[in-house]
Amino acid sequence: MDLRAGDSWGMLACLCAVLWHLPAVPALNRTGDPGPGPSIQKTYDLTRYLEHQLRSLAGTYLNYLGPPFNEPDFNPPRLGAETLPRATVNLEVWRSLNDRLRLTQNYEAYSHLLCYLRGLNRQAATAELRRSLAHFCTSLQGLLGSIAGVMAALGYPLPQPLPGTEPTWTPGPAHSDFLQKMDDFWLLKELQTWLWRSAKDFNRLKKKMQPPAAAVTLHLEAHGF
Amino acid sequence: MALFAVFQTTFLLALLPLRTYESEVLSEPLLLTPESLKVSVNSTRQRLHLQWTVHSLAYHQELKMVFQIQISRFKTSNVIWVENYRTTVKRNRVLHWSWESKLPLECAAHFIRMRSMVDDARIPKPGFWSNWSSWEEADAQNSLGHDPLLVFPKDKLVEEGSNVTICYVSRIHRDNISCYLEGVQIYGEQLDRSVSAFELKNVSFIRKRGTNVFCKVDQGGALGGIVLFVSKVLEEPKDFSCETQDLKTLTCTWDPGSDTGLSKQPSQSYTLFESFSGKKTLCKHRNWCNWQVAQDSQETYNFTLVAENYLRKRSVSILFNLTQRVHPMTPYNLFPKNVGATNATMTWKVHSIGNNSTLLCQLELLAEGKVIQQHNVSIKVNGEYLLSELEPDTEYVARVRCAYTNHFWKWSELISQKFNTAEAAPSEAPDVWRNMKMVSGHPTVSLFWKPLSKVHANGKILFYNVIVENLDKPSRLEVLSIPAPTRSTELTLDQCSYQIHVTAHNSVGPSPASVIVISGDPGNEEVESGRVNGTEDGFSVSWKPQSGDATGYVVEWCDGPQDLPCALQWKNLGPNTTSTVISSGAFRPGVRYNFRIYEISAKRMAHLLEKKAGYLEELAPSDNPQVVMSNLTSHSFTLSWKDYSTESQPGFIQGYHVYLKPKAGEQCPPAFEKTVLPEDSLCCKHTIDNPEQKTFVVENLQPESVYEFFVTAYTSVGEGPLDAFTKITTLDEYSHILIRIILPMIFCVLIVMIICYLKHQWLKEKCYPDIPDPYKSSVLSLIKSKMLLKL
Repeated sequence: MDLRAGDSWGMLACLCAVLWHLPAVPALNRTGDPGPGPSIQKTYDLTRYLEHQLRSLAGTYLNYLGPPFNEPDFNPPRLGAETLPRATVNLEVWRSLNDRLRLTQNYEAYSHLLCYLRGLNRQAATAELRRSLAHFCTSLQGLLGSIAGVMAALGYPLPQPLPGTEPTWTPGPAHSDFLQKMDDFWLLKELQTWLWRSAKDFNRLKKKMQPPAAAVTLHLEAHGF
Repeated sequence: MALFAVFQTTFLLALLPLRTYESEVLSEPLLLTPESLKVSVNSTRQRLHLQWTVHSLAYHQELKMVFQIQISRFKTSNVIWVENYRTTVKRNRVLHWSWESKLPLECAAHFIRMRSMVDDARIPKPGFWSNWSSWEEADAQNSLGHDPLLVFPKDKLVEEGSNVTICYVSRIHRDNISCYLEGVQIYGEQLDRSVSAFELKNVSFIRKRGTNVFCKVDQGGALGGIVLFVSKVLEEPKDFSCETQDLKTLTCTWDPGSDTGLSKQPSQSYTLFESFSGKKTLCKHRNWCNWQVAQDSQETYNFTLVAENYLRKRSVSILFNLTQRVHPMTPYNLFPKNVGATNATMTWKVHSIGNNSTLLCQLELLAEGKVIQQHNVSIKVNGEYLLSELEPDTEYVARVRCAYTNHFWKWSELISQKFNTAEAAPSEAPDVWRNMKMVSGHPTVSLFWKPLSKVHANGKILFYNVIVENLDKPSRLEVLSIPAPTRSTELTLDQCSYQIHVTAHNSVGPSPASVIVISGDPGNEEVESGRVNGTEDGFSVSWKPQSGDATGYVVEWCDGPQDLPCALQWKNLGPNTTSTVISSGAFRPGVRYNFRIYEISAKRMAHLLEKKAGYLEELAPSDNPQVVMSNLTSHSFTLSWKDYSTESQPGFIQGYHVYLKPKAGEQCPPAFEKTVLPEDSLCCKHTIDNPEQKTFVVENLQPESVYEFFVTAYTSVGEGPLDAFTKITTLDEYSHILIRIILPMIFCVLIVMIICYLKHQWLKEKCYPDIPDPYKSSVLSLIKSKMLLKL
């Protein structure tokens, strides 16, 4: 193949185009690349936003359940809500989590919580509550997507739910309405705790991902040059 | 014989078991013990259900029995309920009985036993009670689970106002368990070591998600609770009514009252039953329902509306004839067909009801929001009506509603339509007046007319036609077309007589003509002048008629003050009037209004009858006369104010006041009287009561004295403003005399001097002529000079 002057201009144009789309290419080994940084920041911001949104949603929902659920110091035993993913974990354990596990735990937790939240929405009696819950679910879906984006940017596979372990919100026959209300309470509480924890997780990740001005290693597959 | 014996034996044999039975009955008391006692528990309804049989009853035997049932709680010795249950018993027929417990069954073990007694009228008393059956336990507690604190009843649905007993079962065996209803602590009764009960009286509805009652161990982790669903009491549907629009579908409506829906109980459902046909339908909406009327079906309907929720049923019924509940649909296509100036045909359509039904329609006509006509029309499908006595060029609203003629139930909704009647020619001649003046020697007539009122205009006035006909030269006709809204025009005429026709024109045609005749003769301005008084309503103007054949009178005036251009106004009056009240919003106090009263002759000519002037309200003069002092002597001086106009003051000038301030200590001159000025200073005042007298001689004064004077005019209201006084000093007496002598003397001397100057030559010759000097002779000098030359 003979390289002509026109061809070198074509090469340059192609190179520019590739460089422009660099952040979107997943199959890159980046070390010290600011690539996942912005999406981690975005995810962090999203958790803070959701935390704020949850505060007003939880207030409204707990008022709807009635006292004592809306009392600030109410702390019932966690009876039926055993299947809810727990955010609280030993500090040392949390510190020692690797990035992949950290992100996986977040992703799985929110997947479960979103499912439960959707079940809550189906039973809510007032149209206004259903609207607020639906809006929150959409935002939570956005958070899930954002976490998935970070995981993909870092090259981690998304956790696939095992068949049959799909959390469904079907209360047992002996599940009284009071227990149902307690479960709702714990769902909101756990969601609150998870959002608080996620902010810390993503903050930690953000600090880890800050690039110390290292070289960018590009692996390009060149076709037709 | 043998037959008879056989018959007898058979009869006796037949009677034997009966006798045996009878003797058995009579000999022993009949004890029929209840057997196969089974207790079942319905926790949700808090009911114990009992079933048993009485085996030891003979076949086909039916007996009335009474069963005494005892229920104990916690232990068999604690009997809480005893009831006698009466029923008819048959062999092996299972008997049922149930009992509702106020306390939830999960909170305690319950025990039941019973005994029976025959209670039949056929069996002679006294009966004996059977033995008690053994205690049967109703255990609702075996499936409770392992939670340390359990509260009951779970998810109970009750109606507002009812009483509920809550209880808890604790496995912790501690005293410090507290219970709360909606966050407020409640207190109850301890029934057992581990069971306490709370009586909630008259529970009220709080929210659809239920009322929370929970118990917790103080300083512990255990917590248990229930949600009590309190439903609002289902109300009986109010205002239940059914009607049809077309005899094909019935629509029933009602007021459902409050919604009893909760998260546990759906909103109440409504069902319509019709008793004659036996049909029913479930209503999809909470306050209305449709019912299809079958073809050629019944006339009379008996509807029952049933409202139902999980707790209660309520119903309400109505009975009616279908044809008596017709509420027709709103008529449509209402529009005016032929619209004239004074009438219009309205047409409309109605939806048909059944076959060949007649509807009674009510057509109303509104003008400016008020109903002015109402007509009833019977129609089948198409309606038409001619509305008359309408005003031209007016907006009207027509509206129609219809009702079923056969039996009036309700009017349909109204349908309205706006329309405008057509224009018609104006019905009245414009009110025209004229003003004549001379401009550069030519008589000029200004014509004015008032716009026609809406009632007479019958449409929008587009222009006015002015036809000027010269009466002396009939062939000459001048036509002027003046577009509206101009209300005047000017015509330059000559000395001939003219007849002027004025007509107002709209899009249809002309109005009747207003005719004015103007003669070349300007007329007599010298007429009687009078005064008119102004009142709150205006001016009351009256006059004396002159000729007996007047066709009318016109009172003319200018709306504004005299110094402004005249805004001519006039009022047209009938032939027999001699007075009128002229009122105008433009009249102001302190302004002189001059009214001119004209008489209109049969020939349509106006001539001036009288002049009147008046003030709506007289005021005091606004300015004082400019006074000129003259003829000052030592004893008098003359004051004059000839230029003072009495016509342009804000009131009729009745006279003048002359104020004089004399020298200090001096008395007032004889013509004056003492008065006190507003500043508390003494003064002399003389009143002149003739407004035309504009000079005054102040006399009997002291010589060489300073006097101050001031002249002001006065009206019926008061006098003019108090201005500064003018000072004058009277002359000295002697110098006066001296002046009389000295001046003439000086004058004479001057005359003499002038004469002397003029005639000085003559005087010189006469009095001191020149002595001739020969040496000054010119001839001599000539000779002298010649002699010198010769020498």
